[in-house]
Amino acid sequence: MLKIIFGEASGGVYHPPTYFDNRYEDEWITDPLSVKMIKEIDHSDVISVHLIQSPVLGAIPVRDISGGVKTLILMAFDKSGKIFNASVCGDNCARWIAELGRQKDLTINLHHVMDFSEVAEFEALIVNTGKTVHSYEEYLNEALTIKER
Amino acid sequence: MKGKYHIVVQNNRLRYELTVRRNITIIRGDSATGKTTLINLIEQASALGENSGVDVVCERPCRILSGNDWNLILPYLHGQIIFLDEENQFIKSQEFAAAVKASDNYFVLVTREDLPNLPYSVEEIYGIHTSGKYHDLRRTYNEMYRIYSPDLFTGKVKPDTIVVEDSNSGYEFFRAVCLEHNINCLSAKGKSNLKQAVPSSGEQILVVADGAAIGSEMNELYQMMKTNVRMKCYLPESFEWLILKSGQIDGKVVQNILEQPEDYIDSQKYFSWERFFTAILMENTQNSYLKYSKSKLNEAYLQGKMKQAVLDVMEGICWGKEEEKDRTLLKGL
Repeated sequence: MLKIIFGEASGGVYHPPTYFDNRYEDEWITDPLSVKMIKEIDHSDVISVHLIQSPVLGAIPVRDISGGVKTLILMAFDKSGKIFNASVCGDNCARWIAELGRQKDLTINLHHVMDFSEVAEFEALIVNTGKTVHSYEEYLNEALTIKER
Repeated sequence: MKGKYHIVVQNNRLRYELTVRRNITIIRGDSATGKTTLINLIEQASALGENSGVDVVCERPCRILSGNDWNLILPYLHGQIIFLDEENQFIKSQEFAAAVKASDNYFVLVTREDLPNLPYSVEEIYGIHTSGKYHDLRRTYNEMYRIYSPDLFTGKVKPDTIVVEDSNSGYEFFRAVCLEHNINCLSAKGKSNLKQAVPSSGEQILVVADGAAIGSEMNELYQMMKTNVRMKCYLPESFEWLILKSGQIDGKVVQNILEQPEDYIDSQKYFSWERFFTAILMENTQNSYLKYSKSKLNEAYLQGKMKQAVLDVMEGICWGKEEEKDRTLLKGL
Protein backbone atom coordinates (compact mmCIF):
# COMPACT_ATOMS: atom_id res chain seq x y z
CA MET A 1 0.00 0.00 0.00
CA LEU A 2 1.12 3.58 -0.64
CA LYS A 3 1.83 5.52 2.56
CA ILE A 4 2.35 9.28 2.40
CA ILE A 5 4.13 11.44 4.97
CA PHE A 6 3.66 15.18 4.49
CA GLY A 7 6.54 17.31 5.77
CA GLU A 8 9.79 16.12 7.27
CA ALA A 9 10.17 12.36 7.70
CA SER A 10 12.65 10.47 9.82
CA GLY A 11 14.98 8.68 7.42
CA GLY A 12 13.81 10.91 4.59
CA VAL A 13 16.04 11.68 1.60
CA TYR A 14 15.28 15.22 0.46
CA HIS A 15 17.02 14.95 -2.91
CA PRO A 16 16.75 11.35 -4.13
CA PRO A 17 18.47 12.00 -7.52
CA THR A 18 21.79 12.65 -5.73
CA TYR A 19 21.32 9.53 -3.60
CA PHE A 20 20.53 7.57 -6.76
CA ASP A 21 23.71 8.72 -8.53
CA ASN A 22 25.81 7.32 -5.71
CA ARG A 23 23.85 4.19 -4.85
CA TYR A 24 22.09 2.76 -7.89
CA GLU A 25 22.81 -0.81 -9.00
CA ASP A 26 23.38 -1.65 -12.66
CA GLU A 27 20.72 -4.35 -12.69
CA TRP A 28 18.04 -1.85 -11.65
CA ILE A 29 18.47 0.00 -14.94
CA THR A 30 17.78 -2.95 -17.22
CA ASP A 31 14.92 -4.34 -15.16
CA PRO A 32 11.76 -4.28 -17.35
CA LEU A 33 10.03 -2.00 -14.81
CA SER A 34 12.79 0.64 -15.05
CA VAL A 35 12.91 0.30 -18.84
CA LYS A 36 9.17 1.02 -18.94
CA MET A 37 9.36 3.99 -16.55
CA ILE A 38 12.33 5.53 -18.38
CA LYS A 39 10.45 5.14 -21.66
CA GLU A 40 7.24 6.70 -20.36
CA ILE A 41 8.64 9.58 -18.30
CA ASP A 42 11.86 10.43 -20.17
CA HIS A 43 10.80 9.13 -23.61
CA SER A 44 14.20 7.43 -23.64
CA ASP A 45 15.38 3.90 -24.41
CA VAL A 46 17.63 1.80 -22.21
CA ILE A 47 20.38 0.51 -24.49
CA SER A 48 22.53 -1.10 -21.79
CA VAL A 49 23.28 -0.77 -18.09
CA HIS A 50 25.46 2.24 -18.87
CA LEU A 51 23.74 3.81 -21.86
CA ILE A 52 20.40 5.52 -22.42
CA GLN A 53 19.25 6.90 -25.75
CA SER A 54 17.45 10.23 -25.24
CA PRO A 55 15.48 11.87 -28.07
CA VAL A 56 16.77 15.28 -26.97
CA LEU A 57 20.27 14.70 -25.61
CA GLY A 58 21.32 11.70 -27.70
CA ALA A 59 23.26 8.91 -26.00
CA ILE A 60 23.55 9.72 -22.29
CA PRO A 61 24.85 8.01 -19.14
CA VAL A 62 22.44 6.81 -16.47
CA ARG A 63 23.31 9.86 -14.36
CA ASP A 64 21.55 12.08 -16.93
CA ILE A 65 18.09 10.50 -16.73
CA SER A 66 15.50 12.72 -15.07
CA GLY A 67 15.34 13.23 -11.32
CA GLY A 68 11.75 12.02 -11.36
CA VAL A 69 12.65 8.67 -12.93
CA LYS A 70 15.67 8.25 -10.64
CA THR A 71 13.34 8.65 -7.67
CA LEU A 72 10.83 6.15 -9.09
CA ILE A 73 13.62 3.59 -9.57
CA LEU A 74 14.74 4.09 -5.97
CA MET A 75 11.16 3.61 -4.79
CA ALA A 76 10.98 0.39 -6.77
CA PHE A 77 14.35 -1.21 -5.95
CA ASP A 78 16.16 0.42 -3.03
CA LYS A 79 16.21 -1.79 0.06
CA SER A 80 17.85 0.68 2.48
CA GLY A 81 14.61 1.61 4.20
CA LYS A 82 15.06 5.26 3.24
CA ILE A 83 11.97 7.35 2.57
CA PHE A 84 12.27 9.26 -0.68
CA ASN A 85 10.95 12.76 -1.28
CA ALA A 86 8.42 12.42 -4.10
CA SER A 87 8.22 16.20 -4.46
CA VAL A 88 11.15 15.92 -6.87
CA CYS A 89 8.78 13.97 -9.13
CA GLY A 90 6.47 15.80 -11.51
CA ASP A 91 2.80 14.99 -11.77
CA ASN A 92 3.66 12.78 -14.75
CA CYS A 93 5.21 10.37 -12.20
CA ALA A 94 2.03 10.17 -10.07
CA ARG A 95 0.62 7.18 -11.93
CA TRP A 96 3.84 5.22 -11.34
CA ILE A 97 4.00 6.08 -7.65
CA ALA A 98 0.45 4.81 -7.23
CA GLU A 99 1.31 1.68 -9.22
CA LEU A 100 4.41 0.95 -7.10
CA GLY A 101 2.24 1.42 -4.01
CA ARG A 102 -0.14 -1.23 -5.32
CA GLN A 103 2.72 -3.69 -5.86
CA LYS A 104 4.36 -3.29 -2.45
CA ASP A 105 4.36 -1.35 0.80
CA LEU A 106 5.81 1.98 -0.24
CA THR A 107 6.25 4.97 2.06
CA ILE A 108 6.95 8.29 0.37
CA ASN A 109 7.54 11.78 1.62
CA LEU A 110 5.84 14.86 0.13
CA HIS A 111 6.69 18.51 0.64
CA HIS A 112 3.80 19.65 -1.55
CA VAL A 113 0.39 18.25 -2.44
CA MET A 114 1.11 16.08 -5.44
CA ASP A 115 -1.63 15.95 -8.04
CA PHE A 116 -2.91 12.36 -8.25
CA SER A 117 -6.03 13.36 -10.20
CA GLU A 118 -5.00 11.33 -13.25
CA VAL A 119 -4.72 8.11 -11.22
CA ALA A 120 -7.72 5.81 -11.52
CA GLU A 121 -8.62 4.03 -8.25
CA PHE A 122 -6.21 5.94 -6.03
CA GLU A 123 -5.69 4.61 -2.50
CA ALA A 124 -3.18 5.67 0.16
CA LEU A 125 -2.62 5.89 3.89
CA ILE A 126 -1.93 9.44 5.03
CA VAL A 127 0.53 8.75 7.84
CA ASN A 128 0.17 12.22 9.44
CA THR A 129 -3.49 11.62 10.26
CA GLY A 130 -3.69 7.81 10.08
CA LYS A 131 -6.52 8.03 7.56
CA THR A 132 -6.78 5.80 4.50
CA VAL A 133 -8.13 7.65 1.48
CA HIS A 134 -9.84 5.83 -1.39
CA SER A 135 -9.97 8.51 -4.07
CA TYR A 136 -8.12 11.60 -5.26
CA GLU A 137 -10.84 13.85 -3.80
CA GLU A 138 -10.51 12.21 -0.37
CA TYR A 139 -6.73 12.51 -0.60
CA LEU A 140 -6.91 16.22 -1.45
CA ASN A 141 -9.38 16.99 1.34
CA GLU A 142 -7.20 15.13 3.84
CA ALA A 143 -3.97 16.73 2.63
CA LEU A 144 -5.49 20.20 3.02
CA THR A 145 -6.13 19.55 6.71
CA ILE A 146 -2.40 18.93 7.30
CA LYS A 147 -0.10 21.86 7.96
CA GLU A 148 3.21 20.04 7.48
CA ARG A 149 4.80 20.36 4.05
CA MET B 1 17.09 45.48 -8.93
CA LYS B 2 14.46 46.62 -11.46
CA GLY B 3 13.50 45.65 -14.97
CA LYS B 4 12.73 42.75 -17.26
CA TYR B 5 15.51 40.45 -18.49
CA HIS B 6 15.48 38.03 -21.36
CA ILE B 7 17.82 35.08 -20.91
CA VAL B 8 19.04 32.73 -23.63
CA VAL B 9 21.03 29.65 -22.62
CA GLN B 10 22.28 27.37 -25.35
CA ASN B 11 24.78 24.83 -26.53
CA ASN B 12 24.88 22.75 -29.70
CA ARG B 13 21.94 20.58 -28.72
CA LEU B 14 19.71 22.72 -26.52
CA ARG B 15 18.39 26.24 -26.43
CA TYR B 16 16.40 27.70 -23.55
CA GLU B 17 14.69 31.08 -23.50
CA LEU B 18 13.09 32.71 -20.50
CA THR B 19 12.19 36.17 -19.30
CA VAL B 20 12.27 37.27 -15.67
CA ARG B 21 10.66 40.47 -14.43
CA ARG B 22 10.26 40.07 -10.69
CA ASN B 23 12.55 39.18 -7.81
CA ILE B 24 11.21 35.60 -7.62
CA THR B 25 10.49 33.26 -10.53
CA ILE B 26 9.55 29.62 -9.99
CA ILE B 27 10.16 26.76 -12.46
CA ARG B 28 8.34 23.49 -11.84
CA GLY B 29 6.18 21.09 -13.84
CA ASP B 30 6.56 17.56 -15.14
CA SER B 31 9.70 15.46 -14.76
CA ALA B 32 12.06 15.18 -17.74
CA THR B 33 11.35 18.63 -19.15
CA GLY B 34 14.94 19.82 -18.79
CA LYS B 35 14.95 21.87 -15.58
CA THR B 36 18.12 20.32 -14.15
CA THR B 37 19.80 20.44 -17.55
CA LEU B 38 19.14 24.20 -17.68
CA ILE B 39 20.69 24.61 -14.24
CA ASN B 40 23.70 22.52 -15.23
CA LEU B 41 24.31 24.63 -18.35
CA ILE B 42 24.17 27.87 -16.36
CA GLU B 43 26.53 26.40 -13.76
CA GLN B 44 29.05 25.40 -16.46
CA ALA B 45 28.86 28.81 -18.13
CA SER B 46 29.19 30.58 -14.79
CA ALA B 47 32.27 28.53 -13.83
CA LEU B 48 34.12 28.42 -17.14
CA GLY B 49 32.74 31.31 -19.16
CA GLU B 50 32.90 30.92 -22.93
CA ASN B 51 35.32 28.01 -22.55
CA SER B 52 32.39 25.98 -21.27
CA GLY B 53 30.88 25.97 -24.76
CA VAL B 54 27.64 27.26 -23.28
CA ASP B 55 26.29 30.63 -24.40
CA VAL B 56 24.36 32.60 -21.81
CA VAL B 57 23.00 35.81 -23.27
CA CYS B 58 21.56 38.25 -20.76
CA GLU B 59 22.06 41.87 -19.71
CA ARG B 60 22.76 40.64 -16.18
CA PRO B 61 25.17 37.95 -14.96
CA CYS B 62 23.45 34.60 -14.40
CA ARG B 63 24.80 32.15 -11.84
CA ILE B 64 23.96 29.24 -9.58
CA LEU B 65 23.72 29.33 -5.80
CA SER B 66 23.88 26.04 -3.90
CA GLY B 67 25.38 24.28 -0.92
CA ASN B 68 25.61 24.94 2.78
CA ASP B 69 27.64 28.12 2.40
CA TRP B 70 24.99 29.90 0.33
CA ASN B 71 24.53 32.48 3.09
CA LEU B 72 28.22 33.40 2.97
CA ILE B 73 28.17 33.92 -0.80
CA LEU B 74 24.85 35.72 -1.31
CA PRO B 75 25.79 38.98 0.46
CA TYR B 76 28.56 39.45 -2.13
CA LEU B 77 26.25 39.12 -5.13
CA HIS B 78 24.54 42.20 -6.54
CA GLY B 79 22.43 42.84 -9.62
CA GLN B 80 22.58 39.21 -10.74
CA ILE B 81 20.06 36.56 -11.72
CA ILE B 82 20.59 33.65 -9.37
CA PHE B 83 19.33 30.15 -10.15
CA LEU B 84 18.74 27.51 -7.46
CA ASP B 85 18.00 23.84 -8.15
CA GLU B 86 15.57 21.73 -6.13
CA GLU B 87 18.28 19.98 -4.09
CA ASN B 88 18.68 23.09 -1.92
CA GLN B 89 16.45 22.46 1.08
CA PHE B 90 17.38 25.84 2.57
CA ILE B 91 15.09 27.63 0.12
CA LYS B 92 12.16 26.88 2.44
CA SER B 93 13.87 28.46 5.46
CA GLN B 94 13.00 31.79 6.99
CA GLU B 95 16.69 32.68 6.76
CA PHE B 96 16.62 32.33 2.99
CA ALA B 97 13.40 34.35 2.72
CA ALA B 98 15.00 37.14 4.75
CA ALA B 99 18.08 37.02 2.52
CA VAL B 100 15.94 37.27 -0.65
CA LYS B 101 14.05 40.20 0.84
CA ALA B 102 17.28 42.08 1.57
CA SER B 103 18.90 41.17 -1.75
CA ASP B 104 19.20 43.28 -4.88
CA ASN B 105 19.29 40.16 -7.09
CA TYR B 106 16.55 38.28 -8.93
CA PHE B 107 16.05 34.60 -8.04
CA VAL B 108 14.91 31.72 -10.24
CA LEU B 109 13.96 28.72 -8.10
CA VAL B 110 13.47 25.22 -9.47
CA THR B 111 11.11 23.66 -6.95
CA ARG B 112 7.67 22.17 -6.36
CA GLU B 113 7.70 23.32 -2.75
CA ASP B 114 5.02 25.91 -1.98
CA LEU B 115 7.47 28.23 -0.14
CA PRO B 116 4.97 30.23 1.94
CA ASN B 117 7.80 32.42 3.25
CA LEU B 118 8.31 33.88 -0.22
CA PRO B 119 5.68 36.21 -1.77
CA TYR B 120 5.85 35.18 -5.43
CA SER B 121 3.31 35.93 -8.12
CA VAL B 122 0.88 33.54 -9.79
CA GLU B 123 2.21 35.01 -13.05
CA GLU B 124 5.78 33.92 -12.39
CA ILE B 125 5.30 30.17 -12.01
CA TYR B 126 6.53 28.44 -15.14
CA GLY B 127 6.98 25.06 -16.67
CA ILE B 128 9.31 24.22 -19.56
CA HIS B 129 8.10 22.81 -22.82
CA THR B 130 9.90 21.81 -25.95
CA SER B 131 8.59 23.73 -28.89
CA GLY B 132 10.56 21.85 -31.50
CA LYS B 133 13.87 21.78 -33.25
CA TYR B 134 15.71 25.01 -33.88
CA HIS B 135 17.07 26.11 -37.24
CA ASP B 136 19.46 23.29 -38.08
CA LEU B 137 17.18 20.56 -36.69
CA ARG B 138 19.88 19.41 -34.27
CA ARG B 139 19.10 21.86 -31.49
CA THR B 140 15.98 21.44 -29.37
CA TYR B 141 14.25 24.68 -28.46
CA ASN B 142 12.79 24.96 -24.95
CA GLU B 143 10.70 27.82 -23.68
CA MET B 144 8.73 28.66 -20.58
CA TYR B 145 4.98 28.63 -20.25
CA ARG B 146 2.88 29.97 -17.43
CA ILE B 147 1.52 27.02 -15.44
CA TYR B 148 -1.47 29.04 -14.24
CA SER B 149 -2.33 30.72 -17.51
CA PRO B 150 -4.84 33.60 -17.60
CA ASP B 151 -7.33 31.27 -19.37
CA LEU B 152 -7.83 29.45 -16.06
CA PHE B 153 -9.26 32.57 -14.50
CA THR B 154 -11.37 33.99 -17.31
CA GLY B 155 -14.99 33.34 -18.09
CA LYS B 156 -18.16 34.75 -16.58
CA VAL B 157 -18.86 34.12 -12.90
CA LYS B 158 -21.92 35.01 -10.88
CA PRO B 159 -20.80 34.26 -7.34
CA ASP B 160 -23.05 33.25 -4.45
CA THR B 161 -20.12 33.67 -2.05
CA ILE B 162 -16.92 35.68 -2.32
CA VAL B 163 -13.92 34.72 -0.19
CA VAL B 164 -11.53 37.65 0.11
CA GLU B 165 -7.93 37.13 1.20
CA ASP B 166 -7.80 40.57 2.76
CA SER B 167 -9.25 41.52 6.14
CA ASN B 168 -8.95 45.30 5.93
CA SER B 169 -9.78 47.81 3.18
CA GLY B 170 -10.12 45.23 0.42
CA TYR B 171 -12.53 43.15 2.46
CA GLU B 172 -14.52 46.23 3.49
CA PHE B 173 -14.93 47.18 -0.18
CA PHE B 174 -16.13 43.75 -1.28
CA ARG B 175 -18.32 43.32 1.79
CA ALA B 176 -20.17 46.55 0.89
CA VAL B 177 -20.53 45.55 -2.78
CA CYS B 178 -21.71 42.05 -1.83
CA LEU B 179 -24.25 43.45 0.61
CA GLU B 180 -25.83 45.47 -2.21
CA HIS B 181 -26.10 42.41 -4.43
CA ASN B 182 -27.11 39.86 -1.82
CA ILE B 183 -23.83 37.96 -2.12
CA ASN B 184 -22.22 36.31 0.88
CA CYS B 185 -18.76 37.76 1.64
CA LEU B 186 -16.10 36.12 3.83
CA SER B 187 -12.65 37.25 4.83
CA ALA B 188 -9.97 34.55 4.96
CA LYS B 189 -7.77 36.89 7.03
CA GLY B 190 -4.65 35.98 5.10
CA LYS B 191 -3.65 33.93 2.07
CA SER B 192 -2.69 30.84 4.08
CA ASN B 193 -6.28 30.61 5.40
CA LEU B 194 -7.95 30.75 1.97
CA LYS B 195 -8.30 26.99 1.54
CA GLN B 196 -10.00 26.55 4.90
CA ALA B 197 -12.23 29.60 4.35
CA VAL B 198 -13.77 28.25 1.12
CA PRO B 199 -17.18 26.80 1.97
CA SER B 200 -17.80 23.19 0.96
CA SER B 201 -21.38 23.85 -0.15
CA GLY B 202 -22.39 23.52 -3.78
CA GLU B 203 -22.72 27.25 -4.36
CA GLN B 204 -20.70 29.31 -6.84
CA ILE B 205 -17.62 30.53 -4.98
CA LEU B 206 -15.22 33.24 -6.07
CA VAL B 207 -11.87 33.57 -4.33
CA VAL B 208 -10.38 37.07 -4.61
CA ALA B 209 -6.73 37.25 -3.65
CA ASP B 210 -3.57 39.24 -4.38
CA GLY B 211 -2.05 37.60 -7.45
CA ALA B 212 1.25 39.35 -6.75
CA ALA B 213 1.93 37.13 -3.72
CA ILE B 214 -0.45 34.18 -4.00
CA GLY B 215 2.09 31.85 -5.64
CA SER B 216 2.64 29.67 -2.58
CA GLU B 217 -1.08 28.81 -2.44
CA MET B 218 -1.63 28.14 -6.13
CA ASN B 219 -0.86 24.43 -6.30
CA GLU B 220 -3.51 23.66 -3.71
CA LEU B 221 -6.05 26.27 -4.87
CA TYR B 222 -5.74 24.94 -8.41
CA GLN B 223 -6.38 21.38 -7.29
CA MET B 224 -9.41 22.60 -5.33
CA MET B 225 -10.69 24.25 -8.51
CA LYS B 226 -10.21 20.96 -10.38
CA THR B 227 -12.35 19.06 -7.90
CA ASN B 228 -14.95 21.82 -7.49
CA VAL B 229 -16.04 23.27 -10.81
CA ARG B 230 -18.14 25.87 -8.97
CA MET B 231 -15.04 27.46 -7.43
CA LYS B 232 -13.19 30.17 -9.34
CA CYS B 233 -10.30 32.46 -8.51
CA TYR B 234 -9.92 36.11 -9.41
CA LEU B 235 -6.31 37.18 -8.87
CA PRO B 236 -5.51 40.82 -9.65
CA GLU B 237 -2.10 42.03 -8.50
CA SER B 238 -3.82 43.42 -5.40
CA PHE B 239 -6.86 45.43 -4.31
CA GLU B 240 -4.78 48.60 -4.54
CA TRP B 241 -3.83 47.67 -8.12
CA LEU B 242 -7.57 47.45 -8.96
CA ILE B 243 -8.05 51.00 -7.68
CA LEU B 244 -5.06 52.29 -9.64
CA LYS B 245 -6.20 50.41 -12.74
CA SER B 246 -9.68 51.96 -12.50
CA GLY B 247 -8.27 55.21 -13.91
CA GLN B 248 -9.84 57.26 -11.12
CA ILE B 249 -6.53 58.19 -9.56
CA ASP B 250 -5.07 61.25 -11.28
CA GLY B 251 -1.73 61.19 -12.91
CA LYS B 252 -0.29 59.96 -16.17
CA VAL B 253 2.63 58.63 -14.16
CA VAL B 254 0.40 56.05 -12.48
CA GLN B 255 -0.85 54.73 -15.80
CA ASN B 256 2.71 54.56 -17.15
CA ILE B 257 3.74 52.56 -14.10
CA LEU B 258 0.89 50.10 -14.61
CA GLU B 259 2.00 49.54 -18.21
CA GLN B 260 5.40 48.20 -17.11
CA PRO B 261 5.64 47.97 -13.31
CA GLU B 262 8.92 46.06 -13.47
CA ASP B 263 10.69 49.21 -14.65
CA TYR B 264 9.67 51.06 -11.48
CA ILE B 265 9.66 48.45 -8.70
CA ASP B 266 12.94 48.06 -6.86
CA SER B 267 12.98 44.46 -5.62
CA GLN B 268 15.13 45.37 -2.63
CA LYS B 269 12.62 47.99 -1.48
CA TYR B 270 9.46 46.01 -2.24
CA PHE B 271 9.50 42.28 -1.44
CA SER B 272 6.49 41.87 -3.73
CA TRP B 273 4.60 44.07 -6.11
CA GLU B 274 1.46 44.54 -4.03
CA ARG B 275 3.48 46.49 -1.46
CA PHE B 276 4.58 48.86 -4.21
CA PHE B 277 1.02 49.36 -5.49
CA THR B 278 -0.13 50.17 -1.95
CA ALA B 279 2.71 52.68 -1.60
CA ILE B 280 1.96 54.53 -4.85
CA LEU B 281 -1.79 54.56 -4.14
CA MET B 282 -1.13 56.13 -0.74
CA GLU B 283 1.35 58.57 -2.23
CA ASN B 284 -0.98 59.66 -5.04
CA THR B 285 -4.04 60.15 -2.83
CA GLN B 286 -2.50 61.60 0.33
CA ASN B 287 -3.79 65.13 -0.22
CA SER B 288 -7.15 64.29 -1.73
CA TYR B 289 -10.60 63.13 -0.63
CA LEU B 290 -9.52 59.64 -1.82
CA LYS B 291 -6.75 59.43 0.79
CA TYR B 292 -6.08 55.70 1.01
CA SER B 293 -5.42 53.68 4.12
CA LYS B 294 -4.88 49.93 4.00
CA SER B 295 -6.18 49.36 7.52
CA LYS B 296 -9.56 51.09 7.06
CA LEU B 297 -11.38 51.82 3.83
CA ASN B 298 -12.01 55.46 3.02
CA GLU B 299 -15.79 55.72 2.41
CA ALA B 300 -15.07 57.66 -0.80
CA TYR B 301 -14.14 54.37 -2.49
CA LEU B 302 -17.71 53.16 -2.01
CA GLN B 303 -19.28 56.11 -3.79
CA GLY B 304 -20.99 55.65 -7.17
CA LYS B 305 -18.50 56.40 -9.95
CA MET B 306 -15.42 55.36 -7.96
CA LYS B 307 -16.86 52.04 -6.86
CA GLN B 308 -18.18 51.23 -10.33
CA ALA B 309 -14.83 52.01 -11.94
CA VAL B 310 -13.14 49.47 -9.68
CA LEU B 311 -15.80 46.83 -10.40
CA ASP B 312 -15.46 47.50 -14.14
CA VAL B 313 -11.80 46.47 -13.94
CA MET B 314 -12.95 43.05 -12.71
CA GLU B 315 -14.05 41.67 -16.07
CA GLY B 316 -16.18 38.55 -16.15
CA ILE B 317 -17.68 38.92 -12.67
CA CYS B 318 -21.43 39.36 -12.69
CA TRP B 319 -22.55 41.35 -9.68
CA GLY B 320 -26.25 41.07 -10.50
CA LYS B 321 -26.54 44.24 -12.58
CA GLU B 322 -27.80 42.32 -15.58
CA GLU B 323 -30.70 41.01 -13.55
CA GLU B 324 -31.48 44.51 -12.31
CA LYS B 325 -31.45 45.78 -15.89
CA ASP B 326 -33.77 42.93 -16.91
CA ARG B 327 -36.16 43.80 -14.11
CA THR B 328 -36.15 47.49 -15.15
CA LEU B 329 -36.93 46.54 -18.72
CA LEU B 330 -39.78 44.30 -17.60
CA LYS B 331 -41.21 47.14 -15.50
CA GLY B 332 -41.00 49.38 -18.57
CA LEU B 333 -43.07 46.88 -20.53
